[in-house]
Amino acid sequence: MTKKQTEFKRELPSVYIDDILMSLKYFTDEEELHLAIIDPAVCQACENQPCIDFCPVGAYRAQDGRTVQIAVQSCVECGTCRVLCPYQNISWKNPRGGFGVAYKFG
Amino acid sequence: MSEKIQFDVIVVGGGMAGSTAAAIAAREGLNVAVIERGQKPGGKNYFGGALYTHSLVDIYPDFFDRKPPLERPVTETGFWFLSEDGMVKATVQGGHVNSDPIDAYVALRAEFDLWWAEQAAAEGAFYIPKTLVTDFIYQDGKVIGVQTDRPEGDVYAPVVIICEGVNNLLTQKLGLIDHDLKISKTALAVKQLISLPAKDINARLGLPDSKHGMAISVVGDVSMGMPGLGFLYTTSNALSLGVGVTLDALEETQIKPYELLQRYLEHPAIAPLVKDGQLMEYGAHLIPEGGWTTLPKLYTDGAMVAGDAASMVNAIHWEGTNMAITAGKQAALTAIEAHHKQDFSAKALSAYQDRLGELFVLKDLKQYRKMSAFLKNHPDFMDIYPTFLNDALGMFFTGFGKPKGKLYKDILRSLTKRRPLLKVVGDMIAFGRAVTGI
Repeated sequence: MTKKQTEFKRELPSVYIDDILMSLKYFTDEEELHLAIIDPAVCQACENQPCIDFCPVGAYRAQDGRTVQIAVQSCVECGTCRVLCPYQNISWKNPRGGFGVAYKFG
Repeated sequence: MSEKIQFDVIVVGGGMAGSTAAAIAAREGLNVAVIERGQKPGGKNYFGGALYTHSLVDIYPDFFDRKPPLERPVTETGFWFLSEDGMVKATVQGGHVNSDPIDAYVALRAEFDLWWAEQAAAEGAFYIPKTLVTDFIYQDGKVIGVQTDRPEGDVYAPVVIICEGVNNLLTQKLGLIDHDLKISKTALAVKQLISLPAKDINARLGLPDSKHGMAISVVGDVSMGMPGLGFLYTTSNALSLGVGVTLDALEETQIKPYELLQRYLEHPAIAPLVKDGQLMEYGAHLIPEGGWTTLPKLYTDGAMVAGDAASMVNAIHWEGTNMAITAGKQAALTAIEAHHKQDFSAKALSAYQDRLGELFVLKDLKQYRKMSAFLKNHPDFMDIYPTFLNDALGMFFTGFGKPKGKLYKDILRSLTKRRPLLKVVGDMIAFGRAVTGI
């Protein structure tokens, strides 16, 4: 828990993001992944692994505590990971035309 | 080898800026291609949010007769200041807000952007959806077209208007800006659209009927001391609630964005509003808040850039779509002029920047150029003052039996225990300077 959070009496609730993602519609590209970790060893050595927290759809998860994996199909293409990865270790492209998130309402 | 696909104008992206540019150029008789990476225009777009009708009417004077897919008009708007367990409301209705037509309407982008694109298509613009622009085609250093991810997908035009949105990778590729998004000047916003019967929305928010709606900026506890804002909008049958915070704050606090949003939804003053609502859609989008300080070069040989891709957002006033529409129009007018002169050089297209400089777009962005630095340097601003407002009003109206001299001292102390008076004065001056740009 960081300092900022403990100053607030009302704590953050814990949220199971997968339930929320049920509300989203995607056209999943089965052939090509638009996100990739460039060097997995860099993620292994990354102390905080902030991607696991900052990704708004929780697409970044750590297996065995250290190995970062991306659930690419749940990406909403916001771009946060490309900008916030402390080691620029994420290869970020837009999905191919027609694929990826398709907001129903926006 | 197939024939070269040639247009007069290529627009990259079918959002507000793109479909506006396409409509204006097509209306003038130019052959316009709009290349959209989504299944259809609007599918990648996500905002709060409200559209400003003056900017829409400027493009289609008969806008309202076309039966646009708008949600509720904004008949009440303002601030809600949240403390940890309370709220002060400062909203306005009637008066300036009750204009004819109402200036702000809540909208949902998937539906609205598609309709906005259909209007441009009716003007003659040709839409190429499900197609990603991957790079430019150059001749003698000038942009003469774009490469796409379709087989034999090269498309040519002497002028390309880039309306690719906040992740402006093409704008970067073209060298119009020399860096990716800056974390202190970019916000991540997350939102839930929560379905509720219209009668419940009206009753809970005190709206007389479904022809009345709200747009609220929520300040204070919602961003947990981070530079950021919450919002609440009313659609016909749903509440749209979200929160945006800057990326550097998110990095520092390691807060999960969807947990921050959930905490907002569980606030004692907010929870009753969304009780028993059904989640219709969750989403996340970046907002380029750097404005003037992250403005790319707006033109080069054979290309211009508009909208989010050009950092055209005034976060404090929830403006962005209106700037995108205005910029899209001005880019199209410049493209039309370039066709008349058959001159697509950077020098000819620099008229685009001159036009925007005469309008609110660049004037406002310049005036607010210090805002993101102000928020970064005053991280407690969004926390201290909303909480103080709650304390001050709360104490003022519960001061029974207390000598009023003591009451005012207590009120003052609720401020000074959080921030020394001299710093308060400094905050106000700095905030004033950030707003006025002086």
